Amino acid sequence: MVGKTIESFREAFGRALVEIGKENENVVVLDADVKSSTKTIYFEKAFPDRFFQLGISEQDLVSTAAGFAIAGRVPVASAFAAFMMRAWEQIRNTIARDNLNVKIVTTHSGFSDFMDGSSHQCLEDIALMRTLPNMGVIVPADAYATRTLLRQIIENEGPFYMRLGRDHAVRVYDDEELEIGKAEILREGEDIFLIACGPTVPIALEAAERLRDLSVGVADFHTIKPMDEGTLLKIAKKANLIVTLEEHSIFGGLGGAVAEVLGEKMPKRVIRIGTRDFGRSSRSYLKLLDFYGLSAEKVVKRVAEAVGR
Amino acid sequence: MSSSIQYKLREMLSEVNNFHLGSSITCLEILKAVMAKKGENDVIILSKGHSAPAFYVILSELGFLSDEELWSFADLNGLPSHVIRGLPFVEVSSGSLGQGLSIANGIALASKMERKIYVILGDGELDEGQIWEAAMTSSHYKLDNVIAIIDRNFRQLTGKTEETMSKEPLREKWEAFGWEVFEVENRAGKILELLFELDEVKGKPKVIIAKAKAVGIDGR
Repeated sequence: MVGKTIESFREAFGRALVEIGKENENVVVLDADVKSSTKTIYFEKAFPDRFFQLGISEQDLVSTAAGFAIAGRVPVASAFAAFMMRAWEQIRNTIARDNLNVKIVTTHSGFSDFMDGSSHQCLEDIALMRTLPNMGVIVPADAYATRTLLRQIIENEGPFYMRLGRDHAVRVYDDEELEIGKAEILREGEDIFLIACGPTVPIALEAAERLRDLSVGVADFHTIKPMDEGTLLKIAKKANLIVTLEEHSIFGGLGGAVAEVLGEKMPKRVIRIGTRDFGRSSRSYLKLLDFYGLSAEKVVKRVAEAVGR
Repeated sequence: MSSSIQYKLREMLSEVNNFHLGSSITCLEILKAVMAKKGENDVIILSKGHSAPAFYVILSELGFLSDEELWSFADLNGLPSHVIRGLPFVEVSSGSLGQGLSIANGIALASKMERKIYVILGDGELDEGQIWEAAMTSSHYKLDNVIAIIDRNFRQLTGKTEETMSKEPLREKWEAFGWEVFEVENRAGKILELLFELDEVKGKPKVIIAKAKAVGIDGR
């Protein structure tokens, strides 16, 4: 199942938008002058009349998208994750508060924009979006998940935030039937469970493989909100240790969401692997992940330490 | 100003510490004119959402809200203090300044000129950078069905607009952003007359600067 990078997140996003656009004439795409980086440029080429350039103005971008939704269209507002967050209050007060049918899809999230450094590495967006009533939060693991989950957020009424990386999308899925709101258990395990989202899913799978003398399970929680509490509690019933992995702050992200549910409903030890700090520049994405403890090697080390190996 | 409607507004707000009374008083005439002009599919966006009391009073005058509902203003389960989507003629919730013009542009772009979108802005609200982002968008896309009306009462929360954050030269600013600009005394009749005139202006978004005369900080 796990394989090489075949198609990047942004390529998958751009191409899927065109496919969806062919079937659904109501879909429009709004851009903040990053279309060639996010790959919404493919949609523009296919449907120039349904593509709207807003310039470098994320606040205007999301509020204009709100207007499109009010008028009955299905707007996809896209920009870099870090800069979309400057429109958080617009997203809160207009899109989430009025439960508008706006799809916010950001690319270059987490550490994926490794070279650009701390200003561009968005490590807070899951937390910000997760607190908003009505807002769904989706983090696909690979190109396949990006395509299928994008289609689903467009088909489902209401506001969604989809968080994508840039290029490095290691293949996780063939054609499993992913469903928003339903976590995927990718590897069964008894004692320890690695819970991941986005590009940390293949890392979790690799770490579990290296830890095969222990019973380590892996789950992809691509839908962070609404969280699949049923699957989470099923996992926690067996496992003594839950480890969350995310290219995000450990405060308020996937780890925070998992710890909240378990703390209230089934107290278990949870180790959250992620960041506590801003990012930094690196010439290599994988080196940057390793620096923040998100390589398979570092995850293995952390789990081994936790279980006294 | 018909005094009965202003009296109603004052009475309604006397119970709630004169909540945004000044801003509501100067907004009454604008709303009256816009409601008189509005076609069935046209949209009104009260971007300066704190003038909700004025909107409610106008709606009650038109028979869309009862007096009982009016007196429930800002009470738990009563009329919300800032307009909320779902109330008569309210397409989008407001209360956070600076967003209405962008939303109007979105509706205008989606509707392909089939309907007019009236956006009511406060002059204090013009401090928000997003207004100018949106102003660029309206003119870039030549949205001549977007009509902004600025409640130019020369007051914002801190005091006089020109002392808090200068707005002038306002006409020139909007012109420079590619808008057709009209200035008018803040009276319903005059604004209404102008609204009909500017229907004839094509290919550009339009803004009316509705100037109030000597309105005190308490709205008197």
